[in-house]
Amino acid sequence: MSKIDWAPLAGVAAMASVGMAVGLALGGGARAQDGSDGAQAYMNSPPDVARGRAIFVGTCGAYCHKMTETRGGDAPFLFGCDLPLAKTDQMMFHTITHGVAGTRMVAFGGAIPDDDIWRIVAYLKTNSQCKPGG
Amino acid sequence: MVVNFRIAPGVAASVAALALAAAAPSVAETPASSGAPAIEGSSAPAAGAGAVSLPPTPTAWYADPGVGAAAPVSPDMLAKGTEDPAGWLHYGGGYRNFRYSPVSSLTPASVPHLHAAWSAPTGTTGQFEGSPIVYGGVMYLTTSYDRLFALDAKTGRFLWRYDVQLPDDLRLCCGPANRGVAIAGDHVFMATLDAHLIAFDRRTGRVAWNTTIANYKDGYSVTSAPLVVGGLVYTGVAGGEFGAPGFVDAYDIVTGKLAWRINTVPTDAADPAAKTWAGDSWKSGGSPAWTTGAYDAGTDTLFWTVGNPSPDWNGDKRAGDNLYSDSVLALDPHTGRMKWHFQFTPHDMWDYDGNTQLFLVDAMVGGKPVKAIAQPDRNGFFYLLDRSNGHFIRATQYVEQLTWAKGVDAQGRPIVDPTAAPQENPTARVCPSNLGGMNGSWSGAYDPKQGLVFAPSIEACQEYVKGIAVYVKGVPFMGGMPNTVDADAGKAYGLLSAIDVNTGQVKWRYRDPRPMMSGVVATAGGVLFTSTMEGEAIAVDQATGKRLWSFRMGGSGRGQPIVYQIDGKPYVAVPSGGWSSIDTLAGAGSMQPEGGHLFVFSLDP
Repeated sequence: MSKIDWAPLAGVAAMASVGMAVGLALGGGARAQDGSDGAQAYMNSPPDVARGRAIFVGTCGAYCHKMTETRGGDAPFLFGCDLPLAKTDQMMFHTITHGVAGTRMVAFGGAIPDDDIWRIVAYLKTNSQCKPGG
Repeated sequence: MVVNFRIAPGVAASVAALALAAAAPSVAETPASSGAPAIEGSSAPAAGAGAVSLPPTPTAWYADPGVGAAAPVSPDMLAKGTEDPAGWLHYGGGYRNFRYSPVSSLTPASVPHLHAAWSAPTGTTGQFEGSPIVYGGVMYLTTSYDRLFALDAKTGRFLWRYDVQLPDDLRLCCGPANRGVAIAGDHVFMATLDAHLIAFDRRTGRVAWNTTIANYKDGYSVTSAPLVVGGLVYTGVAGGEFGAPGFVDAYDIVTGKLAWRINTVPTDAADPAAKTWAGDSWKSGGSPAWTTGAYDAGTDTLFWTVGNPSPDWNGDKRAGDNLYSDSVLALDPHTGRMKWHFQFTPHDMWDYDGNTQLFLVDAMVGGKPVKAIAQPDRNGFFYLLDRSNGHFIRATQYVEQLTWAKGVDAQGRPIVDPTAAPQENPTARVCPSNLGGMNGSWSGAYDPKQGLVFAPSIEACQEYVKGIAVYVKGVPFMGGMPNTVDADAGKAYGLLSAIDVNTGQVKWRYRDPRPMMSGVVATAGGVLFTSTMEGEAIAVDQATGKRLWSFRMGGSGRGQPIVYQIDGKPYVAVPSGGWSSIDTLAGAGSMQPEGGHLFVFSLDP
């Protein structure tokens, strides 16, 4: 794995949630509706996937989403197949951005920059243990 | 009881207007039958009901006229704590947190004859961590998601009930827990997951005042039972996984007005404690105060503990000791002025909150009596401090596996193993787990006759992973995570350790195949009660650790048992009901469904 840049993210607080534009239009192709290439832009880039992992580890993994599949817990295992709120890259982006009301999943949009949310999606997708047709 | 069924004006309108209307109860479902207590929605004015920012409507069933003994709970009663076995007036039993009942009829010979007297459902999922309060024949019981019940302590009949209707975007690191109320005068006080402190008339259930402690959207919540001393009610906040700067508050019990606040992290750069944080990292330093403190009448000192610095598992940006994280604070109860502090885990990188229970014990050290504080810390060491000045006396290992430190020095500062620090790709197996050891979400007990502290604990190790931490208010700020290697491999187990305060040595251990994550009550009869993650209420011999009795409640044991006595009969109340998320993290996950239930056991004469 490549070296992670631990520098703070610039301008996080001021970051507008461009990802809002993704809205409820889900299930699209590789190209995100905000005009970016979404997770696809990062999936073949080890440094970007590594950054996605580091943010996931630092924000999502401790008391909520586990790295290994275990029964129990209110936060889904994100490397498996059963992801009703994240069936596609864009659904995953949308869920991270807006959170899930009534659960502990807060809205990260505007807190984590959109590019980094896509890097998290890229990390989750490239490490998925869900095999097509399996 | 007089039937007084009515719906408060404005409730129907506000229910219709609120975005969360689906969560509000249907009027048609409310009990209007004879004998039912009064039901009422929020008495908050309906003005502005169209705004979705209004808090959801609370639902309550009141008792008119009131229930329970007429005499207000006096400061003298609160000082005596459990000396009167008819009541259980504090989370910790008494101000010294012994959780020790003078009831003598629960003995090794008698407890095999315990039987269920009554039970009560909570109707909620999530860990049921409540410690009931009993006064005047009434039990005040809180549940997950902040329901408050008044029950007949002898029969279990519901007398009044108040369900806080919480917002749907709470900031909860670790579940919807509520550990109980405090009682004083004619009120009970409950703090909530959306960071309010509410005073209720203990006889009717009606709200006397409702104060906002903090904006929950900034990462705050409250899970602990408040504490009352004199005319003030104390509470601290959770929020250490959100970087929310911690504090302890004191409120006037009559008016609900803030009397003082002490911050557990610096609030400006001129604070000497700011020098223990690199740069301005104290601004997002967390250090919550999420458990109940203790009070020493002898020195008129309030003791309160502080949790982990934020971010939990990445200390790169907060070089320094990070005061007052993972510390005990000695406070003037009238002003909040800090008399002294002692830090258990300087520059914590493992989430070792210093929030476990404080026992204000009388110990013998080197042949001399010492007014001491004993604490089984989450970091695996059992501390003894001089409570008059905070001086360190000793720390001994009370868990079986402890690798993060090689011991402590003469001042009590841990000698940290540098290989235990979180890594990007860790390989070191580090113990205890981030949840402990013992943990502040459950209590221990102390037997003053034997000088033994009873500490339930998790025995598990983890690999600590470091990640990126970026602070944004109200968003998780942890900087890493534990790989739960022992938990995943089924290697986690539990201990209930009896620790001698005079030596720091473990006298006996009760072993359980699963982590022990439930509170304890000790008794003058020589038998303690706790519960297991297997869902059993158990009785254990305080002298030997031998298991004497059990009853399968079904739900995992995550609550705080108590003992009380009415008409000469002893009652043992034990909560049942776990929360799969934390339970799994600890290595105690199971197929047992969630759902809280209180079981109360008794003995026939």
